[in-house]
Amino acid sequence: MVGLSFDNYQRNQYLVNQAGFKAPKATSTGTTIVGCQFKGGVVIAADTRATTGPIVADKNCEKLHRIAPKIWCAGAGTAADTEMVTQLIQSNLELHSMYMNREPRVISAMQMLKQHLFKYQGYVGAYLIVAGVDPTGPHLFSIQAHGSTDIGYYMSLGSGSLAAIAVLERDWKEDLSREEAMKLCATAIQAGIFNDLGSGSNVDLCVMETGKDAQLYRNYLTPNVREQKQKNYRFARGTTAVLSKSVFDLVDVIKEEEIVVGTDAMDVDL
Amino acid sequence: MSQQDPSTINGGSAVAMVGKDCVAIASDLRLGQQSMGVSNDFEKIFHYGHVFLGLTGLGTDVLTVSENFRMKTNLYKMAEQREIEPESFANLVSTSLYEKRFGPWFVGPIVAGLNSISSKPFVCGFDYIGCIDYAKDFIVAGTASEQLFGMCESLYEPNLEPDDLFETISQALLNAVDRDALSGWGAVVYVITKDKVVKRYLKTRQD
Amino acid sequence: MSINAIAKKYSYKTLAERELEDANEEYEHFVPNLSTMSPSLTLPPISQPTEFLRAHTDDSVNPECKIKIAHGTTTLAFRFQGGIVVAVDSRATAGSWVASQTVKKVIEINPMLLGTMAGGAADCQYWETWLGTQCRLHELRNKERISVAAASKILCNLMYEYKGMGLSMGTMVCGCTPKEGPTIYYVDSDGTRLKGDMFSVGSGQTFAYGVMDSNYRWDLTVDEALYLGKRAILAATHRDAYSGGSINLFHVTEKGWVYHGNYDVGPLFWEIKEKEGSFNNVKV
Repeated sequence: MVGLSFDNYQRNQYLVNQAGFKAPKATSTGTTIVGCQFKGGVVIAADTRATTGPIVADKNCEKLHRIAPKIWCAGAGTAADTEMVTQLIQSNLELHSMYMNREPRVISAMQMLKQHLFKYQGYVGAYLIVAGVDPTGPHLFSIQAHGSTDIGYYMSLGSGSLAAIAVLERDWKEDLSREEAMKLCATAIQAGIFNDLGSGSNVDLCVMETGKDAQLYRNYLTPNVREQKQKNYRFARGTTAVLSKSVFDLVDVIKEEEIVVGTDAMDVDL
Repeated sequence: MSQQDPSTINGGSAVAMVGKDCVAIASDLRLGQQSMGVSNDFEKIFHYGHVFLGLTGLGTDVLTVSENFRMKTNLYKMAEQREIEPESFANLVSTSLYEKRFGPWFVGPIVAGLNSISSKPFVCGFDYIGCIDYAKDFIVAGTASEQLFGMCESLYEPNLEPDDLFETISQALLNAVDRDALSGWGAVVYVITKDKVVKRYLKTRQD
Repeated sequence: MSINAIAKKYSYKTLAERELEDANEEYEHFVPNLSTMSPSLTLPPISQPTEFLRAHTDDSVNPECKIKIAHGTTTLAFRFQGGIVVAVDSRATAGSWVASQTVKKVIEINPMLLGTMAGGAADCQYWETWLGTQCRLHELRNKERISVAAASKILCNLMYEYKGMGLSMGTMVCGCTPKEGPTIYYVDSDGTRLKGDMFSVGSGQTFAYGVMDSNYRWDLTVDEALYLGKRAILAATHRDAYSGGSINLFHVTEKGWVYHGNYDVGPLFWEIKEKEGSFNNVKV
């Protein structure tokens, strides 16, 4: 029961190869994510749009995942994969840190993630920026779905990475202050939000500084607030034609099934 | 005979909305075999205690998955000596679907319910491999999902009373499925409040 | 100058003759050979136009194709004692998207002839309108109304000429002439041409046949026949996902066709269900 199940694999291969169906579209993060180091810490940021093909499925999703209290991760690619791989490594890293009786390290998180992703040969479609602070200082890594990793002072990933890296390349410099780094990341994400169709809505941001608790700024910027509707489409009660109506109590639902005990059918030799 | 994806064989759609101290969840009743309508009483809404689950997609998987959740929520109830809450059920759905990451169920689930302790309304949706889409307004699923997105984006407003929420969700569903060849053939709507659940069957077009 | 030319110069021309002459002149302009009954279509500059068209428009071969042609329909026509009844639905779909619920699927070729529309909407509309002009030219040349047989044959010949090139239509040419009486010809884009008493064409045809076969009689009254046509389409719109919207009804006699109204399936279904006590698969 542990691990992934391939029970339906053959049936689905039949549907795709023999019956000519194609696999449905999973939610993708589309995404612009960035990370950048500053003096004594590291910032990561992300937009908040999730898409299914050309449809915006979620206008304010969370792409910043917590791996450990001071190690956070921004995810791009298949949304379910970034979420689940992050949760898995979060659990394993916590067990590991309890076993070692040490604070978890960013490099351990990165190593566990890349080994997991490499094992799945890119089929787990998670593209991640891992950042955090540990006793060895601040760190910033990126991981590709196939398992390769990168280290850098600043980086961007996702469909909006080109727009974002342009901003980072232009404005990043060594020894930024915390505020400068936050501003830089937010600007880079906005470049993605406005110029990449796969990214949109708000900016989420997370700052990890040595010696301090990590701080998550959920919806740090909200440059796409929906305008108040000027009219409403409220329907008069009774507009919808109803064939039948039934009311039930949730309490009834709970005692819906009663088990009959002691009848002949239930007799069993012991 | 190639088609879009396996969930277009049987067709069907569902939608959930949040109101003031209430939630509503609704689905159509059609089950088709490609173009031919086969059943008009195929309800796609299931409930486990006070948590409601809408399941659209491939008919065979809708039935299997709903039964799996019946088993899992019953085991949960025995272990915990209480009914599962919507938030926990959402995580159960997510992990159950992701377990089949490389051999998925072809379903589009949505969850709706009120937390039995805080009475807080909860709705969320999933893709077929378990990515949760938390929403504070509405969630759509199924072959008419694009039409439903359009209807909900325009009709929805926050803090509707149960009776008004019923009209809004019903009109959103009805007008969306009328523009989808594979959904319709009747509809069912649940409006869930703290003390009661009202289930209504709607009078719809039958073409 | 020949004697004919001199005579022609001083002869009086009727309006109809002038119209015919103009049409012929115009016709000669793009088809040098007058005996050819069809104009020519420009083919795309590619080696295999057929395959190209199929790859880009046939969603049963390629669901991702960019040009989705409207498909799905139920149309029917049958002969009976009082003439012909023609009934059609009005839904147009592109994939599972319902593109329209108010399509006119009966094409009024002229006051005497009706054509029905199934398959590619544009193909049907264009070629049946074109058929109308051919029928008018026939009248002008021969001083006689065209027979249904001849009209359907013009269309059928054209379909055969373009066979395999991607045209998609299934149509019934319905009319009534003194020589033939009420007549229905089925013509499709494969080049099939069939004369018959009862046809139904489209994705919902089987459902319509089901109703017609069990209730049809030659000596149906006009009202009964119109009701049967309406009822058969209703059954098809109910079961077939790609049929629906509303029903258009026509009655064809020696005096031409008469329109018998548009019925929205929404309310009509419940009305007929209650009146007949039928459709018991639907709960009230």
